[in-house]
Amino acid sequence: MTVRPIVLIGLGNSLLGDEGIGVSLVQALSAEFAHHSDVECIDLGIAGMALLHILDGRRKVVLLDCALMGEQPGACRRFTPKDVRDISTSSRCSLHDGNLLDLLALAGEIGGLPPEVVIFGIQPESINASLTLSPTLQHKFDEYMTKVRNEVRRTMVSTAAANDDLSCEGSDNPMNRNDVTAQPC
Amino acid sequence: MPELIDIHVHHITRVEGHGNITIRATDGKVEQVEWQVPEAPRFFEAMVRGRRWEDIQTIVSRICGICSVAHSLAAVKAIEDAMDLVVSSQTEQLRMLALYGEFIESHVLHIGYLAAPDLLGVKSVLPLIASQPELVKVIMRLHRLGNSMMEVLAGRRTHPVCFCPGGFSHLPKPADLHTLRAQLTAALPDLQVLADAVYGVKEMLPDFERDTEYVALVDRGTYTFYHGNIGSSDTTNTVAVQKFKQVANEYVVPQSTAKWAKWHRESYMVGALARFHLNAEHLYPVSAELARYFGLTRTCFNPYMNTVVQLVETAHAVEHSLELIDVLLTSGITPERPHVIAKAGWGAGAVEAPRGILFHSYAFDDNGICTGANMTIPTNQNHANMQQDLEKLVPSIISKPEAEVRQLAEMLIRAYDPCISCSTHYLNVEFV
Repeated sequence: MTVRPIVLIGLGNSLLGDEGIGVSLVQALSAEFAHHSDVECIDLGIAGMALLHILDGRRKVVLLDCALMGEQPGACRRFTPKDVRDISTSSRCSLHDGNLLDLLALAGEIGGLPPEVVIFGIQPESINASLTLSPTLQHKFDEYMTKVRNEVRRTMVSTAAANDDLSCEGSDNPMNRNDVTAQPC
Repeated sequence: MPELIDIHVHHITRVEGHGNITIRATDGKVEQVEWQVPEAPRFFEAMVRGRRWEDIQTIVSRICGICSVAHSLAAVKAIEDAMDLVVSSQTEQLRMLALYGEFIESHVLHIGYLAAPDLLGVKSVLPLIASQPELVKVIMRLHRLGNSMMEVLAGRRTHPVCFCPGGFSHLPKPADLHTLRAQLTAALPDLQVLADAVYGVKEMLPDFERDTEYVALVDRGTYTFYHGNIGSSDTTNTVAVQKFKQVANEYVVPQSTAKWAKWHRESYMVGALARFHLNAEHLYPVSAELARYFGLTRTCFNPYMNTVVQLVETAHAVEHSLELIDVLLTSGITPERPHVIAKAGWGAGAVEAPRGILFHSYAFDDNGICTGANMTIPTNQNHANMQQDLEKLVPSIISKPEAEVRQLAEMLIRAYDPCISCSTHYLNVEFV
């Protein structure tokens, strides 16, 4: 089976309220991209280690995850692994549920990391036991969808342009920019 | 000056979740040894109350990222027990295949990524990529095989969507089973490579034994992971799964937010060593040969050997999977649609999860709404045994340097392959 160049992965536990925002988003977007041959949407839940077998051969991975970032609840930030450092006090070497940054580092070591890695982190309001998102994240859900959709679409545009040998380097068109780091979204 | 040893391992590494080890000793006299689980309870049992019977599996499949097939199957078996549903042999064969996929994935994860660093003297798997690249590739291939099996049988790499009370909502295609068969066949040489690597460092496994009670599923003539009653090394009588509370006898202790368990003694052990003790004579040929290779006998009471038995079980899972696929391909996959009429009742289900026997039970009203639930997980059943092991181990090693005491204590806990939190995942980052 051909590996699709762009993979959109939702992470988190949907039994713990906002912890499952990544899963909720990828589930909502999967129908939208179902017929795009360039994009695969995967609800990976809390199976972090499986990530290692998904990344190889891709051009870009977009990861959607709940993230404690010191922001206001509901804040969404787009960043790359190089933009952040892990400050969790939990078992950093645990690879069962897979610390995402450790897993990406491991994937990098074994040569399976796509050239482009983008993470959308969303600051939770509540990660208590609940099957639903907090009101704050529900209210902003469409906004998150738009941000992620645009991220994927502009990559698809640049992929198509590259495939057609229509280089857009130097273009001012923001849809072709993939170098944005750590910007609030 | 008295010589003080004061060890606080806060959040032991390379286990799932948060567990602490505290050891205090003065002049070689051990004053405190504690295995502590400080995590907040998750209330999953409360979350399924009020939900319909057909929603239960979907919810419990999200409890854990590496035991999701086991949780799902324990749930559907309990629901089938409550509603007097009988499933076909095809359904049972397909479920066992999915469960074997989870065992391969989880055991290889523990052996290769979590335990191997201890045996090879490194802090994580990362240095092994440079020093033993071929071994890491073997580990990754085997791990990927487990993922592939779950994808074909359960519909996803994790958090199954194909299981339902009464059968399957989606059946695999014969072509997919043929592909899996080829991958499983290729896995046997890879397993030998992994076994040779572990054998080469087996002297790093401490020589420590403590007689304990072993508890696992038992079923006539099989090394069972899915069928059977509850067996114990302390009795020849078996207990029906519906009476699992008489086995677990869960209780609370001040040092832990997780429940502990005991049956005939102060503690018991579940997991690979327990299954091996109770069912070893039913291993398939390659796995039986691996057990002989490592000199394993049923009377092994060394918890550090749990990792080696996981390797043996991985081979058994591959061998039995090949047999099951051959049966399914020979008979052909029969289209089946579960037909369930919900009714009031109570039922229990058990399967072996990679880290030990797992129980689920549910009560339903006339409309199939869940009115009560219980999930008794393997790691909770092992907590008291981990504590008892530490209490015997630490006085015997307390004269060693503090760093070595700490390392041996951590390795002991990791050997159980504990899965404590089974849930959280979120990133915790600061921008640089």
